[in-house]
Amino acid sequence: MPARRYVLGSFKGESEATLAIEALKKSSWELDRVHTPFPSHKISEALKGKKSRVGYFTLMGGIIGFLTGFALAVYTAVQWNIIVSGKPVVAWIPFLIVGFEFTILFAVFGNVVGLLTQARLPEFDTLKVYDPRFSGEYFGIVATCDEGEEQKLKDFLTNMGGEVNAFEG
Amino acid sequence: MTSNRGNKEIFKNRPVLLTFAVFVIIGLGGFVFQLAGQHPERAWQAYLINFLLWSAVAQGGLLFSMVTHLTKARWSKPLQGIAESFAAFFPISFGLFLVLFLGRDHLFPWLGRDLHGKEVWLNLPFLFWRDFFGLLILYGLGFAYLYYALRLKMVPGEPHGVMHRFLHKRWSRGAHDPDRFRAKMSTLSVLYIVAYALVLSLVAFDLVMSMDPHWISTLFGAYSFVKAFYVGLGSLIILAAAVRLSQGEQSGLTSSHFHDLGKLFFAFCLAWADFFYCQFIVIWYANISEETSYIIKRTMLAPWNSLAWTVFIVSFVIPFFILLNRSIKTKLNFMIVLCSVVLAGIWLEHLLLLGPALNPRAVAVPLGPVDGFITLGFLGLMVLSILFFLRLFPALVFGDQREVV
Repeated sequence: MPARRYVLGSFKGESEATLAIEALKKSSWELDRVHTPFPSHKISEALKGKKSRVGYFTLMGGIIGFLTGFALAVYTAVQWNIIVSGKPVVAWIPFLIVGFEFTILFAVFGNVVGLLTQARLPEFDTLKVYDPRFSGEYFGIVATCDEGEEQKLKDFLTNMGGEVNAFEG
Repeated sequence: MTSNRGNKEIFKNRPVLLTFAVFVIIGLGGFVFQLAGQHPERAWQAYLINFLLWSAVAQGGLLFSMVTHLTKARWSKPLQGIAESFAAFFPISFGLFLVLFLGRDHLFPWLGRDLHGKEVWLNLPFLFWRDFFGLLILYGLGFAYLYYALRLKMVPGEPHGVMHRFLHKRWSRGAHDPDRFRAKMSTLSVLYIVAYALVLSLVAFDLVMSMDPHWISTLFGAYSFVKAFYVGLGSLIILAAAVRLSQGEQSGLTSSHFHDLGKLFFAFCLAWADFFYCQFIVIWYANISEETSYIIKRTMLAPWNSLAWTVFIVSFVIPFFILLNRSIKTKLNFMIVLCSVVLAGIWLEHLLLLGPALNPRAVAVPLGPVDGFITLGFLGLMVLSILFFLRLFPALVFGDQREVV
């Protein structure tokens, strides 16, 4: 198998980067990854990635949290079994609050777990094909090609308005 | 300006106008029929419910434009003009309030009862005068905001209609100073928002809570104006979806607008339920019979308990679980149905709040076809007033709002 070459195009504008991504998608080269200085709807739409699964983690966390909170309140109330001002020991109306708070807490936990497991973290070799300016004002598009086509890919990205660097795969 | 001509034709669509005009006639007919029948109080009950609901729609709808203006939101520009068109119902709402005075004998169960010192506050002249001035201030502020909002969007070119030509002439004389207009709009928004909270609370206390004169809840006012924003957002979604469906991309509305609006609607669905719960839990904890009887009558005893569950499911459970889904918020036909269902739920919620006090000996929920006819009449009034407004200022509502940043 011939060595893969990574070509990095740096773009100044969001819309230029979006156009380059769309053009790359249509071409025969492979789009490896995109670095953006801020979350961009335009670019995530252009990438047409699969729907993120993080939301399901959040939802599951929320549901588990509600049940946990409610169960905790019931459990502690049953331990003492004291009737306070004529209210039932297991009073579901105020326990909703505990359930609600746990919903939020566990939904956040679920979200973080989802993020960690779904975002391909941790990853250390990103920095090989990276430019610190992607945390500032530039959008980076990494594309891969076979060794022989490197110049063509470079020209392609230059034509789309980017500054181009190439890296060994 | 071909686009404006296109807009104009849509709002001159005769079959649509005629349909809603027929609705108004049906409503009026139903009201008169009920009034002349054996139960005139039922006619006034339906009238009051509809007055409260549709006024809340208009007040809450306009509030959206102001809130997004004050927060300097840019995403909502094409929606603001549509939200402002709800203000067209203000004069009608005010007129309907005046008519309410005629039904006073059927509407206030506390008339002629011993109120143990509450007479100072609960007496007809004072009640009507304070609500009269409250609504006058609220609607006045709303219209002043609308004036500057339209002036800001003034486009050079041919004005349509007498009203627009009059304003155009007036505006052409003065300097077009967008910054000054925006500053005025901000001041008026703040005033309107304060008035909104105070006046809607006042109206809720006077026209809803007072029906059970011995029951008090300090949160009731806040509950009512949060609810008004909830129904306002729901109606805004319906109107914006109708505009988008009839005009396509020309309207400037994209699916992300509906996504964001759907999220706001979802948030206020929760806020409304939260205000209910906040009010409910303190009553539950304190367990004072003066307070609990109101809740027990409505949620635990027949015939009202089934209505209470219906309201809870239709206006909270259903929208809550459906709106968790992201893509559904951008499905316009579906959202029109969902928001209409929620509005119907809030209609029933008004019946739940008012019904037991107005029908103390009811064995079944007092609801009949005539209530539906009267509601249709109010719906017709609302739609006709909005269409009238959109016909007057098509360019200002749908025109260059995206350029005004």
